[in-house]
Amino acid sequence: MNDLARRWAVAGLLLALVLLPAVASRYVTYLVIHILLLALNAVGFNLLFGQTGLLSFGQAGFYAVGAYTCARILLAWPSLLPGVLGGTAAAALAALLLGSLSVRHTRIYFAMLTLAFGMMIFSLAWKWRAVTGGDDGLVGIPRAPLELFGLVVALPTVERYYYVVLVAAVLAVALMHRVVHSPLGLALRAVRDSEVRAEHVGLNVRRLRLVAFTVAGAYAGLAGSLLPPLENTVTPPIAHWTASAEPVLATLLGGIRHFAGPLVGAFVLVAAKDVIVRFTVHWSLVLGAVVVALVLGFRGGLAGALEALTVRGARVRPVSAAAGEEGR
Amino acid sequence: MRTVWVVLVGVGLLFGASWSAAGPAACALGVPAIKLGVQGVASGPHADYGRQIEMGAQLAVEEINAAGGILGCRLEMRFMDDENRPAVGVRNARFLVTEWGAHFLYGTDSSGVAMALGPVLRELDRIQFFTHAATHRLTEELVAQQKIKQIVRVSAPVYQDAVAAWLFRDRRDVRRWATIGADYEYGYATWAIFREQMRRLRPDVEFVGAAWAPFLTTDFSPHIAAVMATNPDGIIATPWAGEAVTLLRQALLQGVFDRIKVWFQAMGGSVDVLEGISQEVREGRFQGKLYATARYIHNWPNTETNRSFVSRFAKRWNRMPNYSAETTYSAVYITKAAVEKARSLQTDRVIAALQGMRVETPAGLRVFRSEDHQFVYAVPAGKVVWDPRYPIAVLGELKVFDPKDYWRWPPFRPLELSK
Amino acid sequence: MEVFAYQGLIGLSSAMYLWLVSAGLTIIFGVLGVLNFAHGSLFMLGAYLGYTLYGLAGVPFGLAVLGSMAVVALVGAGVERGLLRPLYGLDPSYQLLLTFGLVLFLDDLAKLVWGGVFRIPPIPGWLQGSVSLFGRPYPFYNLFLIAVGLSVGVGLWWLFDRTWWGRAVRATASDREMAAALGIRTPTVFSSVFMLGSALAALGGALSTPVRPVAPGIGAAMIVQAFIITVIGGLGNLRGAFAGSLLVGVLSSYGTLWFPEFELFFIFAIMAAVLLVRPQGLFAR
Repeated sequence: MNDLARRWAVAGLLLALVLLPAVASRYVTYLVIHILLLALNAVGFNLLFGQTGLLSFGQAGFYAVGAYTCARILLAWPSLLPGVLGGTAAAALAALLLGSLSVRHTRIYFAMLTLAFGMMIFSLAWKWRAVTGGDDGLVGIPRAPLELFGLVVALPTVERYYYVVLVAAVLAVALMHRVVHSPLGLALRAVRDSEVRAEHVGLNVRRLRLVAFTVAGAYAGLAGSLLPPLENTVTPPIAHWTASAEPVLATLLGGIRHFAGPLVGAFVLVAAKDVIVRFTVHWSLVLGAVVVALVLGFRGGLAGALEALTVRGARVRPVSAAAGEEGR
Repeated sequence: MRTVWVVLVGVGLLFGASWSAAGPAACALGVPAIKLGVQGVASGPHADYGRQIEMGAQLAVEEINAAGGILGCRLEMRFMDDENRPAVGVRNARFLVTEWGAHFLYGTDSSGVAMALGPVLRELDRIQFFTHAATHRLTEELVAQQKIKQIVRVSAPVYQDAVAAWLFRDRRDVRRWATIGADYEYGYATWAIFREQMRRLRPDVEFVGAAWAPFLTTDFSPHIAAVMATNPDGIIATPWAGEAVTLLRQALLQGVFDRIKVWFQAMGGSVDVLEGISQEVREGRFQGKLYATARYIHNWPNTETNRSFVSRFAKRWNRMPNYSAETTYSAVYITKAAVEKARSLQTDRVIAALQGMRVETPAGLRVFRSEDHQFVYAVPAGKVVWDPRYPIAVLGELKVFDPKDYWRWPPFRPLELSK
Repeated sequence: MEVFAYQGLIGLSSAMYLWLVSAGLTIIFGVLGVLNFAHGSLFMLGAYLGYTLYGLAGVPFGLAVLGSMAVVALVGAGVERGLLRPLYGLDPSYQLLLTFGLVLFLDDLAKLVWGGVFRIPPIPGWLQGSVSLFGRPYPFYNLFLIAVGLSVGVGLWWLFDRTWWGRAVRATASDREMAAALGIRTPTVFSSVFMLGSALAALGGALSTPVRPVAPGIGAAMIVQAFIITVIGGLGNLRGAFAGSLLVGVLSSYGTLWFPEFELFFIFAIMAAVLLVRPQGLFAR
């Protein structure tokens, strides 16, 4: 597909997203907000997994740090921007701290370490009642107005808040696109493909991994801090390891080799679940079977499969080589 | 990049499929049907509570429809599993109201889900009748303080567990109390209000030990051992549903009932718990020391309303109703009474119609408390006994106390929760 | 002192479930290099099958446990041959993801087959009762668990250290190509190890049915604990898994007595600290 068609497609998608509240029901708009939040989280996660080759099972921890920090700020100072930026910054800081420890390992050990850190954050959310409200969580968080350059925009409806999330998501995704296609992105892929070679050409492997980890944490935190103004509530389950699986599944579903993979995956995961649960309570059964099939047969995910269909394999990389050949 | 187009088409198809076609002609209230959205836990170890909520709601809907509906309007209901997760409960509520078109909401088992729903109900402007979630904060904070008028609670809150203090008031031999508590808000609140009442009634009592078991605990033996190390005379326990059965089973293993005088299982009067321990009760393994309450028990009150409800329920579902079934069933009838009085589905009018409402339900007389939208009614506590007239263990030697004595009343002082 | 000892003994019996589950997990990792997320679901499956045979069909308890182990071992063989084998040689992250998919699938399958309601069948007659220890009644069932756990430990030691099969497994674990060159049929070794590990998980599950609830979700709770233990003991280290199980089981028991507030936090903190400071495990030689 040439560059022009790609631009038209992106423009079309943006237009559809901008027009959405006008044509879709309020519930669909609400659902698309959740798609955007998961997409943000997944795009950040894929910088870590698809680009750098590190499988984190602790992203929900950073999501929760973002959400709880934003909630505390909004409860004390009802203004949206400080809440969201504060939440994102706190998550990035937590990711920087825990990341500097985590990136000592790779593969299974890295996955286990992030799982442990994520669950430590979960148990704090559960038990540090003075700050987090314990199992009932923090309630009554206002959907505070957006105050920017003296302009105050109230956000009483889901539709208005949708635009805030949309702008944040588009900016963050565009930024990630730049990062992935920058020299930094190249360096990260070099680390993923061969740690030894990357070191030989003078790359600081550990620092690069830390950068990817921190950015992924910040994206999880941004997604997390956009949650409390929508739902007015934050509760501990958002930090649990089963919640960490969501960006992992979205990315895997969409395809780790494509920039758009996590976006497609987030859409399919949220939309398919919403439709499937209306017909059967056995949503996990379907999802589990799909995950197994994806890992066995389509490690390129939906985006990879579509590309293989449309481009007739012209530029398709061998997907079995995904995330590092030197494995095992 | 063609994926993007596929995404666009996908958006259209998925959501297009979910839009429903236009319904039949409108009734007296100007709607095709009155839609009731119901949710509860339908998966995991507490799944039976959601199932009971569903059965209670469905029985009421079927009865009301058979008798001509509400002001000639048919009822339609839809049940959803909230998986005991606040995020899922909130999404369900939004789906039920903005997509499916629910006029009223019902159910919700866990306090966490209920607290998360509160603010969303205000935004959606739909009344939810809460029929299980017990946290005092739902009504004291969200209604009395934050004025979220869309919250109405039909079930008895955590206050009910303070009945234990009254039940054992005259047991001079029970002086040392300990708790095996659910390690979350509900467990702390029960322990707090129980001690508050007990100190008032019996200054001589000591509180000697506490062990806290987190949600989804399967092994209570360390908690039991820790509490028994303090030599209590009485134990008040708050893990519920399957956890209550497990706890009691493991307590028997450690010979607890040879060493204590009374055990109060806060929501042990629930049908699923009584079913789970029936064999042990029949064998007398608890030595007549096990007491419990619930938010309703099927063998009280001995009124025609209740007897007929229980027999209709048992006939329809081949089960005994537990309290979440009764509270949801009654909530649907309360809706009927309020809508018929208001002759409207609007939140403000329905809330106005609820003011001062006194309604006869299977659980007895329920009275609406306007400060916090809580329905007040009495539930007895008693001993877990085997009665050959019933297929499962029941509560016997029932004692009823006036909620005036042991419930919390406005104006509310914040409850000091400490372990 | 007696309180201390009794609380420790209670923790010891809880540790035995952890040991049975993490033994299987760590053996599979040690030989196949696969960290099986679905190992907890095999525990759950073992519990459901044990419940079905013993609680519903009325099969004697001992036979029900063995039957459950056999069925789950076959399930394990199917998973290893059909699903994991194509992934050997890839980044281990994919095996983790595949087995995570299995967790979702198996947990929901159990709900489909057995329903969402919890079940606890009665304790078999010959395992009821208690003995007096430190002045308090100690359940006979807990003693039975400890006996089973220790026997499994001795049995595994014998199997790995004293039999031809064990030598073949150890050879395969330390160098796959070399073992194959020596004429060891490594695919068979892989399958048999996976079956053994699965059967151990099922043993833990089936033994838990009379005293713990069987319900969807017990597998997910168990796998996290098993991860903690195998990490503390060192991934692939069987002795470490035993020591780790005792440590976590007994510490949790004392935690209930002394520091309930941050028990969960501390256990994960220990796991993280071990990974950072001593990734080969606390009990590595």
